[in-house]
Amino acid sequence: MRAWELVRLALSGVRRTPLRVGLTALGIAIASGALASMVAFALGFQEQMEAPLRKLELLNRIQVKAKTRLPTREGPGEQPPPEGFPALDDAALKRFTAIPGVTAAFPEMRMANLEISRGPENRRVRAIGVPPELGGFGYIQNLLSAGRFFTPGAGHQVILGSKLVRDLKLASQEAALGEKLKLRSQGLTPGQPASFRFEDKELEVTVVGIFEPPGFLFNMAGDMILLPLDLMRELPGSRFQFAIERLKEGETGAEGYEQVVVRVATPSEVPRVEKAIKEMGYRTNTLWDDVQEMRAWFLLLRVLLTAVGTVALVVAGLGIINTMLMAVLERTREIGVMKALGATDGDVRVLFLAEAGLVGLLGGLGGLLLGRSVSWVLELGVNRYAREMGIGQHLAVFDFPGWLLAGAVLFAIVVAIGSGVYPASRAARVDPIRALRSE
Amino acid sequence: MTGALEPGKNAPVPEPLVAARGLTRVYRVGPSEVRALDGVDLEIARGEFLTVVGVSGSGKSTLLHLLGGLDTPTAGSVTVEGRELGTLSSHERALYRRRTVGFVFQSFHLVPSLTAAGNVELALTLQGVFGGERARRAAEALARVGLERRTGHRPGQLSGGEQQRVALARALVHRPPLLLADEPTGNLDRLTAAEVMDLIVSLPRELGTTVVLVTHDEETARAHADRVLRLRDGRPEAAA
Repeated sequence: MRAWELVRLALSGVRRTPLRVGLTALGIAIASGALASMVAFALGFQEQMEAPLRKLELLNRIQVKAKTRLPTREGPGEQPPPEGFPALDDAALKRFTAIPGVTAAFPEMRMANLEISRGPENRRVRAIGVPPELGGFGYIQNLLSAGRFFTPGAGHQVILGSKLVRDLKLASQEAALGEKLKLRSQGLTPGQPASFRFEDKELEVTVVGIFEPPGFLFNMAGDMILLPLDLMRELPGSRFQFAIERLKEGETGAEGYEQVVVRVATPSEVPRVEKAIKEMGYRTNTLWDDVQEMRAWFLLLRVLLTAVGTVALVVAGLGIINTMLMAVLERTREIGVMKALGATDGDVRVLFLAEAGLVGLLGGLGGLLLGRSVSWVLELGVNRYAREMGIGQHLAVFDFPGWLLAGAVLFAIVVAIGSGVYPASRAARVDPIRALRSE
Repeated sequence: MTGALEPGKNAPVPEPLVAARGLTRVYRVGPSEVRALDGVDLEIARGEFLTVVGVSGSGKSTLLHLLGGLDTPTAGSVTVEGRELGTLSSHERALYRRRTVGFVFQSFHLVPSLTAAGNVELALTLQGVFGGERARRAAEALARVGLERRTGHRPGQLSGGEQQRVALARALVHRPPLLLADEPTGNLDRLTAAEVMDLIVSLPRELGTTVVLVTHDEETARAHADRVLRLRDGRPEAAA
């Protein structure tokens, strides 16, 4: 039989009991729709996590710190070798840049407790100090939503996180540009060896740009500020760590950078470069391991949700077995007629398998429709809730790539045909004489 | 059983379409055996109209099933167009039915979800005839049984006589050499039965089809048949 004729015959078969076939296909649709949506949820969730990291190229980033005898947040202190820990200075930056795959190495500073104010409005903010030369990097430009990056030597500049625009009652991101704000900082500043003094300093800074962290990073970093590295060095408290080490350990060595960022061309080069930097005697920290662990969890989540969906689909497959067995029973006489007309057992088997497959196709396509509409509604709800919670970004909760759509339909067809095997072989075994006996 | 027929003696000049030797079919019903057909020797010439008569349970239908390749003999052999049916696999018997046999049943056995044309086309589909050719031949076959105005009706919308005429069109549309009819008028009133019977006689004659008609209506048998085979308890009585 030609394929099209087979489909035509199968169609005429399933059209005979539209309600029953429809309900069976609905079962398949719900199962395959749930399966696709659950996997799409896992994929969308993962994308929500990873897209911002990719956009800011955070996976290409290695944080480097000098080792210290003092315990830190990252771990316990270490005993230095006889010649002392290697310094994190400009010479070290040169050595890092020389490692193959490294695209940039630059110092970075962080401060936790600055106060920024505009008239009566003021906020406590965290700040990152970066060299003005970073403006050439694409991901920095991706980050900026208004204005420009720092201009070297152009006085006291600041780039605000977009959340602060609202917090400081600025009319808009564009209106904020050029605004003069007060920046106040208190803390210890190291003086001559083994001495330091407390300072309280206030200076005027000009807003030159606004940055907007993508995705979930918005909530983590939307209220931070960026400062030029040189400006930050002048703030009291910025060299706190160095001051503490001097005080506690009486160290007299030259002051290196608190932290250096090394960037590589692609994330896959991170482990190799990180290893090379470690071998030079530094502490490193990357998102790479965290992300690998996260991906393993997402994979597990996907497998789990797929398994749940598969169970649902198999249960729906039982529905197909039931429907097809009833069809075989009801159409026993017709099967007998077909056999009398010369249909082989194989013809009958293939016909019933095709009918089962058709129900699967119907259910699979219905599942796509169902899954996509339900997840569309869910996404709408989630985003409405997120807006009420003050999350500005649109959250794409579900991610339906083409392979998932095609895979879900294909899977539904395979399960349906699998469920059709037993009823089809029952149909093929129908004895025409018994089937055609007149009552 | 087979020894009853002596070769050479009474040999027909043209090769017969059907030749049965000692044809036997035993059914097992629980511990007991039922010999539905018991050593039947039979030859049917091409174009012959053979009527098989007998009371219920005399083995008429069993004989028809064996000739049609729906069933296989317990002993003996049946050869159609030189092919010994007992040696064919189930698949080969299906192909034999497809090419060689047309069936007409007492209760019509049309597919209720298909139109008259659809039922006839089903037979052509199995022959590997599709598209316009199939539609044309189905329409032609229905016209031959006088149903050109009923092609789009479903069996439920047709009278019994019309349904049987559709069944006849379906059985003959691919011009099989052998038409097997099992009580084709058994479910019809006298007048309709006569009309259908006329078609069962005239159409095969036009097409040169050999007919085996099973009936318990002696009158019909005598009126139309070239030959009557009388069965009792699975054995032939004296032929008329």
